[in-house]
Amino acid sequence: MAGRFKILVTDDELIVRESLVAWLKKGGYQVDAASGGRGALESLERAAYDLVFLDIKMPDMNGIDVLKVVKQRYPGTMVVMITAYGSVEDAVEAMKLGANDYLMKPFEPEQLALLVEKLLQHKKLIDENVLLREQMATAAVERYQDMIGASPAMQALFEMLEKVAAVDSPVLIKGETGTGKELVAKAIHARSARRYGPFIAINCGAFTESLLESELFGHEVGSFTGAVKAKKGRLELVRGGTLFLDEVGEIPMKMQVDLLRVLEERRIHRVGGTRDIPVDFRLISATHRDLSKAMEEGHFRRDFYFRLNVVEVEVPPLRARREDIPVLADFFLRRFRKETNKPVEGLDKKAVELLCAYEWPGNVRELENAVERAVVLAKGRILTEDDFAFLKRTVGAVEPRSLEEMERLHIQRILALCRGNISQAARILKINRTTLHHKIKKYGIPGSA
Amino acid sequence: MAEDGDAVALAGVRTTIGVVPMGDVGEVAVRIVAAHLQTVLGLPADVLERRPLGEASYVPDRRQHDAAKLIALLNACSAPWPHFKILAVVSVDLGVPILRFVFGEAQMGGRCAVVSGYRLRRNEDGTDAGLELYYERLAKVALHEAGHTLSLFHCEDPRCLMHFAASTKHLDRIRLFFCPRCAFLLKETLKHLGLSGRP
Repeated sequence: MAGRFKILVTDDELIVRESLVAWLKKGGYQVDAASGGRGALESLERAAYDLVFLDIKMPDMNGIDVLKVVKQRYPGTMVVMITAYGSVEDAVEAMKLGANDYLMKPFEPEQLALLVEKLLQHKKLIDENVLLREQMATAAVERYQDMIGASPAMQALFEMLEKVAAVDSPVLIKGETGTGKELVAKAIHARSARRYGPFIAINCGAFTESLLESELFGHEVGSFTGAVKAKKGRLELVRGGTLFLDEVGEIPMKMQVDLLRVLEERRIHRVGGTRDIPVDFRLISATHRDLSKAMEEGHFRRDFYFRLNVVEVEVPPLRARREDIPVLADFFLRRFRKETNKPVEGLDKKAVELLCAYEWPGNVRELENAVERAVVLAKGRILTEDDFAFLKRTVGAVEPRSLEEMERLHIQRILALCRGNISQAARILKINRTTLHHKIKKYGIPGSA
Repeated sequence: MAEDGDAVALAGVRTTIGVVPMGDVGEVAVRIVAAHLQTVLGLPADVLERRPLGEASYVPDRRQHDAAKLIALLNACSAPWPHFKILAVVSVDLGVPILRFVFGEAQMGGRCAVVSGYRLRRNEDGTDAGLELYYERLAKVALHEAGHTLSLFHCEDPRCLMHFAASTKHLDRIRLFFCPRCAFLLKETLKHLGLSGRP
């Protein structure tokens, strides 16, 4: 148990420092030492300590001043003041300022052992209390299934989803990339009568036409070269559950007809098969594309659109619900802190202001990535504006760049937003796929699908 | 042939703990410490030649010897000795800069340790502890410090030899055994060092 506690010993006298460090190490504690007040504050900036031993008289910075900073910045850290002079006045002042206890050098062995044990037990209780409060705070955050949002826009969405979940009609979810359309689909499924059935998602933009057909409908042996085994399609596997067609706007015209038939007749044929297979699922689709425009341009079938769009749900972009940004940022910070095991405790005011002011073209996904990046690269325990400097670079384009460089950066950014989906990126950039491929090759952009 | 015999003898002492009487500590106390190290740890222990206790580690203000300094001196003078651990036994009062007194001191995972019988002869209430209890306390402190040199930390089990005893009252609650956890860790350390040991 001792090994999980981290202790910092601060004393300008080397022998005292070494002696206390050696004694604490015998207890199995993780111990660091600082030779002065400034060094102690630097150590505290780098790592979280459960307990700090702080000498009152130090040449570079008075222990009382260090105590004030520690209590202000790191209120969870316990502090024991140590003094060689036995000055009661200093000790009383330190206790008034929030020191947890004090010791006069040299200590009675029993006194030191009891004090360390008592304080670390106390710290353990405080940590448990903080954890419980965090859990309660997380539970109290306005959320619907895995979605977070107290803004009027999200509250309206949650109300809508409650109604939608109660019926079995097809749902079309519209929203920009990164807004959390799949989370909405999962929430509808989780609140619906089909919640005990499977939830199967398929990204229609990620497959070629023939592969998508095989994925959805399955195939019989010998239906195409390499089909050595019969395979059930997702339409079959989803029996009793919910099928989520992401990027439904990418479905080729021919398959739109096939799917329309499935929705009308509730049965399928596997590719290369003749047998009727009954299917039973609820369809939820999602798109970031303007399907009305696609219909006008003849890329999307009107009858299929109306079959999908019985109930329409619009997920608001992050910039339309800026009041949720601090809560979301805090939520992601807690998650990445746990995942990365980095002692990052929160965001300062300026960092929150920057996040609230940013446009978030990639929406919640971009915010999630930004917080992850900031946590991973964080030098201190509080994320500052500087930790999100990369956002400013994205917005500002401060330094002059060549047209070619700007083009490369823009393509890279759009590809990242589309998670490497070439068709999607090409559409946003309003160029054809061949041109995009050509540019990716020209600029040597890695990681595109 | 003689050289081979020397090599075997040398290999033997390399797994042996050297117990050094320093100053005017009693011969019996030293032999009892060596016997306990041998019995409880299962490692051979030699009683080495008595060494004088110099003034270098003496702290006049505190009328004590600084245990950390004493270990540093011991470390320097014992360099040519072939023993893999060195435990000094003294009868003077020991302290360290942060603690008013210590019963013993050791280098964590290191080679040297020192134990003192000075504060073990009397009980908390000032009464005489008797020779038998005194030797038992001294053996417990010696085993505790030897445990530190073998990389054992303080233990939370109040009856384990590695529990931190701040007073003789605490020391008397401790048994002459390592708890199962510390015994396991000790066995692992000895195995790592290529020694069998008892625990």
